[in-house]
Order: sequence, then structure tokens, then C-alpha cells
Amino acid sequence: MTRKDNWLIWAFLAPTLTLLGVFLYYPMIGTVIESFYDTSFISPEPRFVGWAVYEKVLNSRQFSEIVWNSVIWTLGVVVLQNLLGFFTAVLLNQGLPGQGVIRALVLLPFVLPGVVTAILWRFMYDPQLGLVNSIFIRLGLFEDSAAWLASSDTAMAAVIFVAVWKGFPFSMLIYLAALQNVDKSQMEAATLDGAGALRRLIDVVLPAIRDVILVNFVLTLILTFNYFDIVWVLTRGGPQNATHIFPTKIFETGFGQFRFGEAATYGVFSILVLAVLVAIYVIVQRATANRRPVA
Amino acid sequence: MNASKSTRVIQIALQIALAAFVLLPFFWMISVSLKPATEPFAIPARLWPQDPTLENYVTAFRPEFRTYFVNSMIVSGASVVITVVLGLLAAYSFSRAQLLIITVLMGGVVLAQMFPHSAIIIPFYKMMRAADLLNTYASLIIAYVSVTLPVAVWMLRGFLLKLPVSLEEAAAIDGASPLRIFCEIVVPLARPGVIATAVYVLIVTWQEFLFALSFTSTKEMRTLPVGLNDFIGQYGIRYGELMASSVMVSMPVIAVFFFLQRYFVAGLTAGAVKG
Repeated sequence: MTRKDNWLIWAFLAPTLTLLGVFLYYPMIGTVIESFYDTSFISPEPRFVGWAVYEKVLNSRQFSEIVWNSVIWTLGVVVLQNLLGFFTAVLLNQGLPGQGVIRALVLLPFVLPGVVTAILWRFMYDPQLGLVNSIFIRLGLFEDSAAWLASSDTAMAAVIFVAVWKGFPFSMLIYLAALQNVDKSQMEAATLDGAGALRRLIDVVLPAIRDVILVNFVLTLILTFNYFDIVWVLTRGGPQNATHIFPTKIFETGFGQFRFGEAATYGVFSILVLAVLVAIYVIVQRATANRRPVA
Repeated sequence: MNASKSTRVIQIALQIALAAFVLLPFFWMISVSLKPATEPFAIPARLWPQDPTLENYVTAFRPEFRTYFVNSMIVSGASVVITVVLGLLAAYSFSRAQLLIITVLMGGVVLAQMFPHSAIIIPFYKMMRAADLLNTYASLIIAYVSVTLPVAVWMLRGFLLKLPVSLEEAAAIDGASPLRIFCEIVVPLARPGVIATAVYVLIVTWQEFLFALSFTSTKEMRTLPVGLNDFIGQYGIRYGELMASSVMVSMPVIAVFFFLQRYFVAGLTAGAVKG
């Protein structure tokens, strides 16, 4: 395209920019505005209240519970998903028999719709009928069935496990692509030098794909923090708020109780967290982009 | 490959364990969906029903389920088409124009893909309410196009950047108009990128839950994920039907994904690995 085709550039961009502006950027600002208004089921007409809703939210016990849950949830899922994804990628890059088939099958959870995943695992965890308890009892680890999702001690771990089961294939896919880009001659040189598989992994593979690991880690942080469907269908944030995270709390407050102002305030806090994560993402990306020509 | 024999054995064992970890829940879902309603559940559970039957599928395919299915097809189908068309247009501009403002705007697109849906949904809901669009296909299609466009533009732009510009330059010298160049040269070459993006949009919209749950209020307008969630309360104990419904909900995306996997994986990993 040349300069005189500028009209075409803007004509092609116009629909996308309009949609993103009106339906993504404007609502982000709208959430901030909304958080200064109080609405409830009894008085549905929004009333400007300044920082009152913030005070109410910050002083509630639930807020600290939700912050804490979100930290556990996000770190738990991200760390486990990336570890499992990485080791699966290494394993499925060894040229073992049946590798192609397994690589394809491992992607199944990634494609399985979130609500289906949650329903399936609700059933897997069922105290009376579920397979999880069956397996534990058959292995002799447990005598009685446990109600994984109904006990506040185990609910968070159970929900994290499901998210990792569904999410690790995505991480694996990214790591597998990165592993296939690792310089073969470097690997061979290391082997000739007598480096074992573990040494090669630490000395050659990890430095070569460090950038992919960093970027993928931050990206999954952002996605996990914003998760809604699996948590909501599995537990609705319960029992006793044990699995309530920002998105489930926003939905429950906004659409369950129609307290839009309070829901928006939770939204603003999650935007702040996101802003920090995005800043980290940009810094990581910059750093890796600068390193690339040298490496 | 000079791994010793014992290492190989361990690796193969790990690979089998991995397959079991991934596949066992799927196996269980299918097994229970084929279990006759009369066969009791046992602890420890029986892995495969004694007399497998399709009766759960027949019962689960009730009129509401068919409505949800049609709704999901309309909403996802329209979103795929609109997102891919608008995304391709925008991606072309983003990949070919060399202006500072274009780079800045692309940054804005990348940023938008990270916005939490739960943090924008209340103003979004109010807009739809003001426009009298709640509980319509239009509200969901608008939401789905908006939230999938950023990634679609990013995937398609990555793809277009790899196409040689020389063909377009040659056509321009021959006097072809920019619009003709786009339609006759760029669009046909972009096909693999378009397929990858379409698969992405389909996977995301087919399972979308938050917007569908918030924007639809009647059974006539529910999509499959919301409808399935409603079933938990209504048919809570009838796991056979619930699992049969789950299999039917999942089949279309799984089938599409496996047919078009190579495009999708290439489209996704190219951008993610090379930055």
C-alpha cells in the first residue's frame, strides 16, 4: 500500500477499531465510573456515592478472602500447568513409539468446552458415584468417600486440579514448538562432550527457550486470573467462599444480587491487578526482544 | 538416540500414564453416557456398562437441547464469519501500513485481548439493555465478535507478515487497484491463516459462558453451555443423560479441531514462539 491508499488502510481498520473502542475500551472506563455509584435491588436507580462502595468492599472480610483465594488459585494453576506442560513437551519430544497419536490426544482437554469439563469433573468428584473416590478406595488410600468440592479444605485444590487438567495441553503446545526450534547442532555438541539428558536439558534446552517460558508464564497468569466458567460451574465460589475469586464474585454480586456498584468495584480491583500483570508482560517482552539478536 | 533401555522403559511408562491422566475422564464420560438408566452405580465404579445403550442420547436430545444447539450454531457461526472478515481487513492494514500510529493502535489491540471479561461485563450489559438487545442473538454476537477480534487480528497479522509482498508490488505496477490486490492476491494466500483463526473463534465462542449466562434470560435464547449448566439442577441425579448431553455438546468442536488441527497449531504457536 502506498501513501495515496491511506483511505483503504483506515477503511479496513474502521470496523475493528470501532468495535474494540465501543465494546472493550469504553466498558473498561464504564466499570470505573460504575464503581462510584450505588445500586441495589431495592433502589435500582444509580446514586453517586464517591468512595463509599470502596470503603465497604475494603472493610468486608470477603474482600481479603477473595484476594487470598485469587493468589492461591492463580499461582497454583499457573505453576502446575506450566510445569506439567513443560515436562509433557519434553517427554513427547523424545521420538517414542506412539508419540504422534499421544500428542494429538493430549490436546483433547484443551478443546473440551469449559462447562462440559466442569460438569464432567463434578461427576468425577461426586462422593457417592465419582470415579476419583472409587480409585482412591480401590487403591486402599481411603476408607471412606471424600466430598472434594463440598469441603472448604479440599475445594480449592480440587478446582485447581481441573483447571490444570484442562490448561496444561496449551502450555505443552507452546513448549513443544519451542523445543523443536532448539538448535540441533548444539544438542549434538553437548552429547559429544558427554553431557547426559538432564545436563543437556539444563545447559542447552532451558537457556534456549527461556524467553518462551517467561512469556508463556505471564500470559497464563493473565488468563488464569480472569477465569470464570470452570470455577462457577464446579463450586459457585463455595463452600463458604473457599473458591470465590474475582470473576465469580463480580458475577455473583452483579447478576445474582444486582449490586452493580459493588460488582464494578471488584472489577476495578481486578483491572488494577491486570495492569500490574500487563506491565510485567511488557517488561518481559522488551527484555526478551532485546536479548534475541545477541543470543 | 542413545538413551539406555531402562530410560526408554521409564519414558514409555510415563507416556502411558500421561495418556491415562488425560483420557480417563473422557472414557468415564462416554461409559456413563452409555449406561442404561436401570444399571445401578457401584462403588468401586464399574468402568464399562454391562449392556451399553444409546437410550441416554435419545432422551437427552429433547426439544430444549435442540433449541440450545441451534442457538449455539447461529451465534458461533455468525461470530466466526464476522470476526474473520473484520479481522482479516484490519490485519491487512496492520501488516502493510508503516505509520507510527498504526503501531500504537496494534499495541491497543494486543492490550485489549487481556481485558478480563468479568471487569467489562456490567457496562456492556447496560449498553445492551439500553439498546433493547438483551436476550437476543445480536447481543451475544456483538460480544463474541468484540472479545475474539483482538486475538484474531493478532493471529492473522502474524500470518500476513510472513507472506511475500513482492506479489502485491508486482500487481500494483501492473496497475491493479489496492482493493483488487487485496481480494485477488491476499485473500486466497491467507487461507491457512483464516482457517486457523476460524477454528480459534469457534472454540472460544462454542464454550463461552459468562456473556451467555448474563445476557440471555429465557430458554428460547440459551446457548449450549448455559443450557447444560441448567441441566445440573434439573437432572442432577440423572448423570447418564448429563454425560450424553456433554458428549453431544463437545463432538462438533472436537471434530473440527481434529480435522483442522495442523492449521490451528501452526497459527497459534508461530505467534507465541516468535513473539
